Formats: sequence, C-alpha cells, structure tokens
Amino acid sequence: MMDRTTKALTGQGIALSFGGIEVLKGLDVQFRAGEITGLIGPNGAGKTSLFNCLTGAYTPQKGSIRYDGQPLDGLPPAARASRGIVRSFQHVALSPDLTVLENVMIGVARNHHAGWLHAFLPTGRGRREMAGMRAAAMAALSELGLAQAAEKLPAQLPPGMLRLVEIARAIVGKPDVLLLDEPAAGLNNAETRDLMRSLRRLASPDLVMVVVEHDMDLVMSICDRIYVLNFGAFVAVGSPAEVRADEEVVRIYLGSDDE
Amino acid sequence: MSDQSASLNGTAVGQGRLALRPEALTWAVLLLLLVLPFLLGGSWIFTLGVCFANAIGVLSVSVLVRYGGEVSIGHSFFAAVGAYSVAVLDTRYGLSLIASLPLALALGVVAGVAFAWPSRRLSGIYLAVSTMALALAVPEMINNMDGLTGGYEGLYVSQPVIPGVKMGLQRYYGALIVLALVVYGLSRLRRSRQGLVLLLAKAHPAAADAFGTRRVWARIAVMGISGGIAALCGAMLGFAGSTVSPSGFTLWSAIFLLVGSVVSFYGLTLPRALIGGAFLTLVPQMLSASGAWIPVLYGLALLGVILFGHYLPRLRALARRKGGA
Repeated sequence: MMDRTTKALTGQGIALSFGGIEVLKGLDVQFRAGEITGLIGPNGAGKTSLFNCLTGAYTPQKGSIRYDGQPLDGLPPAARASRGIVRSFQHVALSPDLTVLENVMIGVARNHHAGWLHAFLPTGRGRREMAGMRAAAMAALSELGLAQAAEKLPAQLPPGMLRLVEIARAIVGKPDVLLLDEPAAGLNNAETRDLMRSLRRLASPDLVMVVVEHDMDLVMSICDRIYVLNFGAFVAVGSPAEVRADEEVVRIYLGSDDE
Repeated sequence: MSDQSASLNGTAVGQGRLALRPEALTWAVLLLLLVLPFLLGGSWIFTLGVCFANAIGVLSVSVLVRYGGEVSIGHSFFAAVGAYSVAVLDTRYGLSLIASLPLALALGVVAGVAFAWPSRRLSGIYLAVSTMALALAVPEMINNMDGLTGGYEGLYVSQPVIPGVKMGLQRYYGALIVLALVVYGLSRLRRSRQGLVLLLAKAHPAAADAFGTRRVWARIAVMGISGGIAALCGAMLGFAGSTVSPSGFTLWSAIFLLVGSVVSFYGLTLPRALIGGAFLTLVPQMLSASGAWIPVLYGLALLGVILFGHYLPRLRALARRKGGA
C-alpha cells in the first residue's frame, strides 16, 4: 500500500492511436517515488509510446497524466522538463558538435537562467553559471565512470558509452522523474553491471525511476515493480518474482527455460 | 568538410592542442590587419574595409547554418535594415555610427525574430525559399520609400566616428573592430548555456524539448542572432563603403552571402570569416579585367576553393604520413 505522502507519476485511461491503430488501450499506471519500476514487453508493445505520452512528446486522445497530484495534460515537453520530468532516448540523441561534457551540461541547463547578455559577454554571472554546470556534469560523468571521456566528441566513443552519456545527461539535473528508454542497449556485460550499480545508487525516496529494458537480468535485479505491456495493454503488474511466475508473461515475452 | 571537423578547427573548446592553433592564427591575422593600413595604399584600405563588412555578413549566414541547421538566401534584407538605419540617421539627423550601430543591431534582431515567428515551422528548402521572398522585396521597398531612403540614388554616409581622424582609416578600423567583436561574441556564445542548447536543438529537436528547450524558441533565437549580425554587416557596408543604395541589397547580394558562408565552410572564426568576405570582395575585383569571362572564372574560383577545403584534411593527413615516413 502506497504511503499517501509518496510522490507518484500517474496515468489514468491513457489511450493513443495512430490512423485507427490503437497503440495504447486505456492504460492506468502509477510509478511511485522511491521505487525503480520496470516497463517490459515485446517490440511494438507501446513502451516508448507510453514514455512519449508521459513526457508530452505525444498527446494521448484519452486519459490524464499527473505528477504529485498536479495535472500535466496539455503541457509541452519543455514545460514537463522544467517540472523535473526527464528521459533518455531509445536512439542516442546527443549533439555531435559538443563534447561529452558539454552534452551532459545541457541536462542541468534548465536550472539556470542567466540572460543573453551573459551569453555574449564575459560576465561574472555567466562564468559562474557555466562553472556550476561544468562541475555538476563532471560529477555525473564520474558517477557513471565516464570522467576520462569528458573532452571527447560523441563520434569518438563506442555506442555503449554514448548510452551512458545519455543517462548522465538525464540524471545531472537531479530530476524528480527519470524515464530511461533501453539504457543497457549496446552495453557489454561489465558495463551493464556498472549501470545496474549506478541505477541502484541513484534510487532515492524522492525519485520516480522507470526503466524500459529488454535485458531481463537488469530488470529483474534492480526493479521493485514491473509492468508488462503487450499490444498496448498491460498483461501483468507486480514484483519481479510475481511477473516471472506469470504464465501469460512467460508465454508472450520471457519464454520458458525449456525453449 | 563535416560539421564536426569544422568544429575541431573552429571554436570547439577543450580540444587540447587542436584548439590552440586556430586561436593563435586568429591573433596573428588580427595583428596583421591592425598594421596593414600603414603598409598599403588608400584603395586597398577601402577594399579591405568592405571585405570586413562582407565577412560580418558571411558570419550571419554561417550562424544560421551552424546553430539552426538552415540556409538563407534572403539575408540582404537584414543587411538593408542595418545599412539604412545608419544611413538615415547619418543624413537626416547627423548622428554617427556610435549612435546608429546599436539601433541597427536592435532592428536587425527584431526583424529576424519577426521573420522567424511566422516561419517557425518551416525548414530546409521551404525556409530557404521563404527567405528569398525577403530578398526579392528589399529593392522595391527601398525605392518605394524614397522620401526616407533616397530611392535609386541612395544615401551617403559621411559622419565620422572620431572627428579629425582620416575617414579612410575610420572606415577600415571601424569595420575591423565590429568584425572582431562579432567573432568574439560568437566564440562566447559557443561556450554559453544558450549556445549548447541551440546546438542540441539543431541536432535533436526532440531531445532539446525533453531537456527544457523549446524548438520554436531555438529557431527564433538563432534567427534573431543571425538577423542582428546581418544588420551589423549592412551598417558596416554603409560606413566602410560610404554609400547605401538598393543595388547593394538584391537577391544576388543575399546569394553571395551564402556563397561566402559556403567557401568559409560555415566557420565562425576570424580567418574563416575573412575567407568568405574576401571571396565576396577581392575575387570580383581581381577578375574585373577579364570582361565576359568574369562569371566563368568566378565559378571556377568557387569550385576550386570548395574542392580545396573539402580535400584539405586528406592532404594534411597525407603530408603527415609522408613526414612521419
């Protein structure tokens, strides 16, 4: 039973369709602060579409989305980001013109407000702002073991490290809601283990963390609760043990050990 | 040349050894330009002043490309806004560049924002063609407002910034100082919060949205900056060239600004901007004795510069390999 004071990102009756094809079929979700929630399902189940609805990239035809009781409906993605709801992307979305450090600094940009004058002139406020952003970004990179790559360009790094840079950008601004879309895609076993440790360290009583992932070892070991999505509808919700024991989930997604 | 390599050779920060070389080159070029009037004759000083003004215009288009990912064939409009701000205040009110330049910059920014708002959803070829509409309208607008603009005959810019100092030197150094300030401002922008988010918005608008930067804001901001710099170009063209007339702000002028930006590989450093400015100013002058062959030779020069720039990294790599062997 959830404590009434616990913050949560909730969706009620979220329905989304494209050209008559129902992508999400009236979903009810509750992602709680203090938990790591997994969102799993076969390709095309609607996981990223649900993320897009939660972050405002898509507008669902029906349903409502709230964070901490406050409605988010109608707010564009940038406004939701200002409320602390951030995400990483399924396909790496870094600027090729910026160094790794600069890409991560963008994650904290929404917390700073020095005006245009400070962008063009060497003012003290502008310098302090950039120094603060740089320090925060460096700390986030160090947290994920990427400090040595700070001055490199994205084109100089392997895909797995780029994925970690995306995560660093997402966490650097101390978000309230962190939505990670396939964070372990492209990582090797050692990198995945490091990522799991980092995500566990990130978990806090005030953070809503949702992970879309196909790596079942990662999902089963770090998640407190798991939603299983198939053809736009939830087929199971529960603890990792409950989901693993669900015959329907095994049939449509996990598969049995005999197979 | 890729955007990335341009950034390595240009204003990228934190690139270690690579980043120092362009800065040293910039200072060397600036020092040379500062002493050049003491070595050259009057006509060259005049031509170089116009070259600096054109280099500012090249930067205005390059900013749009580098930070917005868009091209313009209508920046002569914004340049005209700046040029006539200076010329009208000079001839009607006797105000010098000190007073009129800030106004030119402000009006250029406002014009850029005013154009960006209705066109904020356009991109690629559609945006380029809509900017062309601006360039096509400029000469007619100027001619129709002849009571203010002087019509076909144009206006003469004669007010000195510092009374008593030779006007030729003022025109040269005025344009050079404004060019250096624009380059400096753009190097600051690259290292600023706004610069970072604009570059992300260019590469991945959805990611910029997700981190609190609306893509519409990014488009309008880039167009405002670009329009402001183009207005500075126009202002300095008027001051350095001493006259302002509709023939200086045609569709061809806008196309040549884009050409200058291309031959400078959209660089935002002083040497790159000067390459673009020189291509607009010095190459036509050098070809002026070639008669009917001018367009052909200009085209060949354009092709040569682009191919040279394109293959330069490979030539450097080849030279390094041979040097190491």
